[in-house]
Amino acid sequence: MSTNPPRLPGELSFMALVVVFSAFMLWTSFRISKFDSISSPGVFPMFCAGLMLVTGLMSLRQAWKASPSADTHQTVFQQFVIQLAPLKLILFVALIVGYMLALEVTGFLFSSYAFLLMSMQVLGSKKIVVNLWVSALVLFCIFIVFRTAFSVVLPAGSLLGPYTPEFLK
Amino acid sequence: MMEALGYFFMSWLDVKMVLLTAVGTFAGIYIGAIPGLSVTMAVSILISFTFRWDINEALALISGIYLGGVYGGSRSAILLNIPGAPAAIATGLDGYPLAKLGEAGQAIGLTTVVSVYGGFIGILALAIAAPAVADLALMFGPREYLLLAFWGILLVGSLSGQSLSKGIFAGALGALIACVGLDPMTGENRLTFGSLQMSAGISYVAAMIGFFGVAEVIAQIHQLDLKPVKQNVSKIIPSWGLLKKYLPLATRTSGIGVVVGALPGAGGDIAALMAYDHAKRTVKNPSRPFGEGAYEGLVAPESANNAAVGGAYIPMMTLGIPGDAVTAVIIGALYIHGLKPGPMLMIETPHLFWFVVGSLTLANIFLLIFGLTGIKIFAKIVETPKPVLLPLILVLSAVGAYAINNNPVDVYWMLGFGVLGYFLKMYGFQVGPVVLGMILGPMMDRSYRQAMMATNNDGWLFVTEFFTTPLSAIILAAVVFTLVSQTQWWKRLRGLN
Repeated sequence: MSTNPPRLPGELSFMALVVVFSAFMLWTSFRISKFDSISSPGVFPMFCAGLMLVTGLMSLRQAWKASPSADTHQTVFQQFVIQLAPLKLILFVALIVGYMLALEVTGFLFSSYAFLLMSMQVLGSKKIVVNLWVSALVLFCIFIVFRTAFSVVLPAGSLLGPYTPEFLK
Repeated sequence: MMEALGYFFMSWLDVKMVLLTAVGTFAGIYIGAIPGLSVTMAVSILISFTFRWDINEALALISGIYLGGVYGGSRSAILLNIPGAPAAIATGLDGYPLAKLGEAGQAIGLTTVVSVYGGFIGILALAIAAPAVADLALMFGPREYLLLAFWGILLVGSLSGQSLSKGIFAGALGALIACVGLDPMTGENRLTFGSLQMSAGISYVAAMIGFFGVAEVIAQIHQLDLKPVKQNVSKIIPSWGLLKKYLPLATRTSGIGVVVGALPGAGGDIAALMAYDHAKRTVKNPSRPFGEGAYEGLVAPESANNAAVGGAYIPMMTLGIPGDAVTAVIIGALYIHGLKPGPMLMIETPHLFWFVVGSLTLANIFLLIFGLTGIKIFAKIVETPKPVLLPLILVLSAVGAYAINNNPVDVYWMLGFGVLGYFLKMYGFQVGPVVLGMILGPMMDRSYRQAMMATNNDGWLFVTEFFTTPLSAIILAAVVFTLVSQTQWWKRLRGLN
């Protein structure tokens, strides 16, 4: 009797990607200094990528041998969305990407406040007034603590920076 | 001796250090207790803020957070049936049934005292063993370091996950990420794809925050609806009779904690599970059956995981090899401050070693104070709803990744590694070995090439010297044993499968 856990949706594709990535990295590592010398700069990356390729193939084999999830009423894609990438998660990651991009443009304070409010809403904290206050309070604390105690220079933003008062930079 | 004592008490006599240690311990308890926040995550984020500080101040804060965090996980395991940290998984098995029986206060009190007791044994072991290990480590050459680093990755890969191949993959991935940038020996570009940004390498702090912070935040979205079960807490301070009864068990399991913690790559979570298993096998008449509220099921894992903290510092301080994921991050902090953990650190800067021992001892005392007080506020804080908590951690992570170089590219790396870490976790890969690989990769690369050059690039001689040098042969035997112990053949032989 097999004791392997069932295969997760998308696992086979992920393992295949892992193998392809490892093979690509092995080739890239090989191109660093080919087989010039046994102690050349490319040897260690080649060893790592080679190990990744071998263990990646082993993991692919394990995933191949594992039985798929018992629920056959849904397609693999549907199962993937439900189990690994639900809408909330995708929206949250999209908000993080937007936040990272906005940091440089609108600055830390504005982008963080907008990110906090929107992500709290997306994740299910429906009390808007509480969200407004908690975000403002926490941001204030982060700003004060990190600007003063940790001397961290936070991004002022190329768009809003010139109009932001000095003490908020 | 007097000099060592002077360094030991350095953190005790400076008000700022005492405050930092206290704040660290207090914060650590809450960070460890809040499900979704981990000590590794906190320390990863923290080092990006404290790199401008004096190293002693940073270490005092980190020591407090580490010890407090390992303990903190037990509180939510007992009160909410949600382990705040992996090291508290075993604690919940008997802690929560105890809370349901109305003995939450007693359970928390006992847990606090045995955690502190385990912590002291770990610190004592660190103070005694580390100088001896450092003396031994002076005999190590590049070959031994290469083997030790490989063993560390192998151990964390094999012990922390279900699949050895996935563990090794994760370690190799980390070591490969560490290769990105200019080769430290020849200045040649490696894996940079012609990008100037990548020539500077990938900031391991950004990677750590990504793997431990962002990935965890994303993974927690699956548990947004998990509702904690509240418990009433009364009478926290345990009776002397109860303590006396469990002290022998706590001593034994603290020993397990020290040894497991000192193994490169193994940590408090493995120590706790092994100690729980030890208690189950050796305690003949537990207070209640295990899994139904046995006090022994609390004492064993909690003393072991705190003892593992001192144990984990031993290979970190003496060999530069982390005992667990947190010490891997602390090594990163030491590098940022221009220090190189290893035997020479113990010889050249003994004050640092004794300062760490002193800070840990102080943090352990604070642990006792904070552990036995403030339960009511605690219950409120750990119930912070995740829809509010997760975005806050994300903002802190972003600030942390940005702060290290004031470079937005690091924030993108953090996010990239966060998403990668999420999928790796979901598909059964552990992210701990990736970070360990990133820390140990450069050491392995350097050691390999030094050892090879020492043999004039003679591959055969390089291989045979692993067997002919006693120290190398011993470590090689440990590596081989670790590999063999993961095979189906070995498991069948031991009747495990």
